[in-house]
Amino acid sequence: MEFVSPEGLRLDGRRPMEMRQIRGEIGAVAKADGSAFFEMGNTKVIAAVYGPREVENRSQQISDQALVRCEYTMANFSTGDRVRKPKGDRRSTEISLVIRQTMEACILTHLMPRSQIDIFVQVLQADGGTRSACINAATLALADAGIPMRDLVTSCSAGYLNSTPLLDLNYVEDSAGGPDVTVGILPKLDKVTLLQMDAKLPMDIFENVMQLAIEGCKAIANYIRELLLENTKQLEYRRGP
Amino acid sequence: MVGLSVGEKHFIQGGIAQDLRTDGRRRLTYRPFNVETGVIPQANGSARVRLGGTDVIASVKAELGKPSPSQPDKGKVNIYVDCSPTAAPMFEGRGGEELSTELSGALQHCLLGGKSGAGAGIDLSSLVVVEGKVCWDLYIDGLVVSSDGNLLDALGAAIKAALTNTGIPKVEVAVGASGDGLPEVDISDDEYLQFDTSGVPVIVTLTKVGRHYIVDATLEEESQMSSAVSVSVSGQGRICGLIKRGGAGLDPSVILDMISVAKHVSEQLMNKLDSEISAAEACEEES
Repeated sequence: MEFVSPEGLRLDGRRPMEMRQIRGEIGAVAKADGSAFFEMGNTKVIAAVYGPREVENRSQQISDQALVRCEYTMANFSTGDRVRKPKGDRRSTEISLVIRQTMEACILTHLMPRSQIDIFVQVLQADGGTRSACINAATLALADAGIPMRDLVTSCSAGYLNSTPLLDLNYVEDSAGGPDVTVGILPKLDKVTLLQMDAKLPMDIFENVMQLAIEGCKAIANYIRELLLENTKQLEYRRGP
Repeated sequence: MVGLSVGEKHFIQGGIAQDLRTDGRRRLTYRPFNVETGVIPQANGSARVRLGGTDVIASVKAELGKPSPSQPDKGKVNIYVDCSPTAAPMFEGRGGEELSTELSGALQHCLLGGKSGAGAGIDLSSLVVVEGKVCWDLYIDGLVVSSDGNLLDALGAAIKAALTNTGIPKVEVAVGASGDGLPEVDISDDEYLQFDTSGVPVIVTLTKVGRHYIVDATLEEESQMSSAVSVSVSGQGRICGLIKRGGAGLDPSVILDMISVAKHVSEQLMNKLDSEISAAEACEEES
């Protein structure tokens, strides 16, 4: 199948190095300590953060750092065909783990010993790149909850189809069977915290694809930083002089 | 889940007794709510309802299926509700299952009527394509994103809005289809049928706290309730379903009184909801 037309346009009309429309919103869940809504094209997710608070299960308590937990759930209506999956299938468990490890790397856990931070991500609509969207939403939610972090974490995916590196794959491109590189970075420290790839790719091309994904991450980081700045300004304005 | 001190409990109860609740509302006033339709483009119809701090999404998906042999002239409707862990940490893992089942059951009682399909808010016979062979199966999914009390009323409103937003593709049945096998159908891509949702009831939950009852209780108020009665009332002012929850018993005369109050409140709610839905639909068409 042709994923890039001779004119250099993808199936949804984007250029190979173009990202989908991204949109974020802080404070989607009133009762949570921090929450955010994040949208990458048709992929829509909500993240909520509860904590830091007392550890629920005493045996999991860590004496010198905070316990970070994460759960990823997909709504019944999130995919094209309606499927009723049991909770905690292997895919969700794996993604929960990936998100937890990525977020744990940026939270200053040693500042909050013997406490627990819960991150819940809910996919409302899935159209490829849910992993990345969830990580971006979780970053926003953690920042909203005021949890100390080393840096923001942002994530973006890139792939390689029809001998062209493509940024931010959608569902159709994702299921084409080509390589899919998901990268998460700490943009200010310039460190990679998450790297996943399936399928095979020659070394030199992999470097290009990964560089493309990193560029995507940086663009998202700029957007998230602007969003947080705007939010802080609003909070300051509301507090008054 | 809700940790309240003795003083806070007294404050809530005292406020309700004096007809001035903690957020300044009177006993029979709803919180302001807002409706957004078409939030899930992949579904046939969807809506998001925010009622104070409560936030729910309902989506309607239609699939072609076979009617049940006992009711060949009716389509099927299923309602499922999921409680997302984003709403409360206690819904993590399987923690939300009990509440989800309770809510799904209550909604089925209130909106779909009895087993025979009589008294359903949705006209099930309009879902039939070929009698006894092909019909539409509607899957209504509710998702609780954020919970601040009164989930049932919010879900009921969201489902009504989602059904109003729903377009079912027009189906052409191939002429001369043979008797036994499944008839060939052609699903149209650009012609949609809309539902008549004027008959879909709204749900009004009256929560009894102390000697009085209130509508649209918040999570804190719900934690103080002795019992709650949910009444679903259709646009014509008919009672479609009734559910009592909570431990304490109720005097039959109180229940009758509650029903008449619920009927009165539902008229205002129905008008408000209808205008919100049409505003949301107009807003969606513009964008």
